Amino acid sequence: MSNTASGAIDHHFDPTTSTGIPNKKLLMWAFLASDCMFFGCLISTHLIYRLHPPPGVPAARQVFSIELTSFSTFILLMSSLMMALAVNAIQKGNLKSLRASLLTTIFFGCIFLGCQVFEFNNFVYEKHLTITNSILGTTFFTLTGTHGCHVAVGVFWLMLMYIRTFQPRDTTSDRRWFLRNVVHIVAFIATILLGMYLVLGLVRAFEASGVAVGTVLHYVRSYIAAILGIAVSGTGLKLLARTRGPVGFDESNAIDVEMMGLYWHFVDIVWIVIFTVVYLLEYI
Amino acid sequence: MSATAHAAADPEHGLEESKFQIYVQIAMLLAVITGIEIITVYLPFDRWILFTVLVAFSAVKFLFVIFFFMHLRWDLPFCTVLFFIGLVLAGGTMWALLQLFGAEASKPLSSAYLETPRWVATG
Repeated sequence: MSNTASGAIDHHFDPTTSTGIPNKKLLMWAFLASDCMFFGCLISTHLIYRLHPPPGVPAARQVFSIELTSFSTFILLMSSLMMALAVNAIQKGNLKSLRASLLTTIFFGCIFLGCQVFEFNNFVYEKHLTITNSILGTTFFTLTGTHGCHVAVGVFWLMLMYIRTFQPRDTTSDRRWFLRNVVHIVAFIATILLGMYLVLGLVRAFEASGVAVGTVLHYVRSYIAAILGIAVSGTGLKLLARTRGPVGFDESNAIDVEMMGLYWHFVDIVWIVIFTVVYLLEYI
Repeated sequence: MSATAHAAADPEHGLEESKFQIYVQIAMLLAVITGIEIITVYLPFDRWILFTVLVAFSAVKFLFVIFFFMHLRWDLPFCTVLFFIGLVLAGGTMWALLQLFGAEASKPLSSAYLETPRWVATG
């Protein structure tokens, strides 16, 4: 990143480094290159055992649900779009748009994770496919679980970046900002976990008893503590998402958001490969 | 490298404004390709045709994301080279592993062999 004569920041060139690339960006690209090899090994292990299955391996086609996976693929693509828009927003110094884009990306990331939890739950309890009872389960859960962990790390990073945008410019005059940030993080994590728990509970209730008013009423009674919890944490989030004076986050922090964006898009491209190799090729 | 980057900087300033449209259009294109991929698996064609089509679609999606969403199109070429080193190494490892385990001697034991006592199987 450099300040040009006009004062605008060049986000693709940094004259202070020998390569012309900001060091943070270079670090992230080097990490992603190494992560390619990591996922390459996991994908090839899965492929080897799909091409030469040992006896007794269940038919993957009868286990997988193409509709659910397609939906989560679409969600992850849209989260990538929102992440690209977040980077674009901070490069223009638009903090409000950045926050909205980050929140939407987090939301889509959580939907993806929720779908994965639902899928794993379904595989284990309905289809009886576990990580230990067949080689398909071992390679499948290891590969998609590792990807899911990457998504979870990405969501956590996005959340921290969102909270970081509220940090005051002068932290010495606002001594309570650190405590406020800690409370913000706790409220955010509580909201995400309770939200996923409630949505998955609702889906399970609809699956068990069908979509009806009685089902919803029974669900509300069963999950009242979680509903109250999310109401409290959500209100806390709303109250904490207020700026008190000028914030220390502007266009000069675009490289931090861009670095995080690279990680998030990488998670997306890994899923693009997994979706084709692990899921779609089973159907041809 | 520096001269190239600065030469690209001026037209890029105008491009910043249109990036929003570019991102939205690419996301829509990726969503459409995903939809076509899902339909493709149900089409009554030979497996090798479907396989080629699916891999091609996947590669197109992959390239669109890395060059546009990840900004490789606008960044210095060194980033592309660095990432492709990892990608080629990963691809090479995958190819080597698939070849190794595809060899006759590496195939997993069949159920008939597993059921046979070891001393019989080895002669």
